[in-house]
Amino acid sequence: MVITPASSFTFEQLTDAYNETRVDYLVPMPMNVARLMEYCRVYDVSLESSVVAVEEDVVQGLGMLGVRQDRAWITRLGVLPVGRRKGTGSALMAGLMAGAEKQAAKTVWLEVIKGNLPAHNLFHKFGFRETRELIVARRAPKAELNEATFDKVKQVTALNHEDAIILLSHRQERPNWLNETESLQNVRNLSALLVELKNGGRGWVTYHAGLLQLTRLVVEITVGDPTEVTEAILTVLHQRHRRQDSIAENLCEDEKWFGFQKAGYFDSFRRIEMKRPL
Amino acid sequence: MKTILQIEDNHANRLLVERVLEPHPYRLLHAADGESGVSLALEEKPDLILVDMGLPDVDGQTVVTLLKQIPDMENIPIVAITAWPPDKALEMAQQYGCDGCITKPINVKNFPGQIAAFFTHNDA
Repeated sequence: MVITPASSFTFEQLTDAYNETRVDYLVPMPMNVARLMEYCRVYDVSLESSVVAVEEDVVQGLGMLGVRQDRAWITRLGVLPVGRRKGTGSALMAGLMAGAEKQAAKTVWLEVIKGNLPAHNLFHKFGFRETRELIVARRAPKAELNEATFDKVKQVTALNHEDAIILLSHRQERPNWLNETESLQNVRNLSALLVELKNGGRGWVTYHAGLLQLTRLVVEITVGDPTEVTEAILTVLHQRHRRQDSIAENLCEDEKWFGFQKAGYFDSFRRIEMKRPL
Repeated sequence: MKTILQIEDNHANRLLVERVLEPHPYRLLHAADGESGVSLALEEKPDLILVDMGLPDVDGQTVVTLLKQIPDMENIPIVAITAWPPDKALEMAQQYGCDGCITKPINVKNFPGQIAAFFTHNDA
């Protein structure tokens, strides 16, 4: 089996191989070429440091590496059915770790879908340890809004992309790779809402409003009860975007999560964030 | 003859549904992603839509959301097809207003009956 840089392959080949790795996953998340290209751009994936495992001209698996300053992030790791039970996952991981070292990374991060035990065990074997559990939440547009929540709102200010980035860069909480300011800077046309409640509570949400979906949601509370202010912010957001399906990725199970749930979000699946120092 | 639209990106899954439903009097249409699925639904107004929840361009939940917001489409039953555990699949289907869900891999013996049930329910 040969480990080759992903830059030797076209995006069409990488997309086909990636989709084949996910064919029997619980959460398959297939992609088309445009989506994979966008993914690599937004998350600073280096195709030179990403790897594809090949045996007798047949792709066995692939893994990608995002690189930012002294940090690296393993993503889209998967083994095709034809490559399973012959050490392909370990070979890919070894290639990715070598790539991270070559990039002078001091820490490597990754996430594994909760319940994917073979992958979780593989990451343990490579020295990764759990840091936290993250929730991927969804909200269908038909979810009801609590009209009484509107009465609590004193003022709403809509902000543009540049202002949204300023808010994001002043966050108190450590974001996950997907929600880091570097990722969100790479997303075009972010929006933000600053919301102030009559009781003095304050906070904001940044998001991307597509035609069909609201994505890239980040909520931060600056003053007040996190659950109450989160619910109010999201109620205002969804009143303005009543028709879109919403996805909030990598939330922590904290007081804000209760606010998300009150605004109609539900737990779709969970990821385990892991890291390893180099 | 009833028309079924299957929105499914995986070729093997598509073929399996085709083979299982072949002996039955259905006209089966196919779309490999969400965008072409919505277009085909608008053109053909099928009697039933089977939507895989994991699609390569836009996920199945968003496809269902869009279809349910189109006035001509709101009464067409939509069935989610997913590999998620049954309780999670059911929750997702309910939240998004699906008329049912079938977990993958499909049970080839039961599948025709499951499909027929949606028509019976809808005709009642």
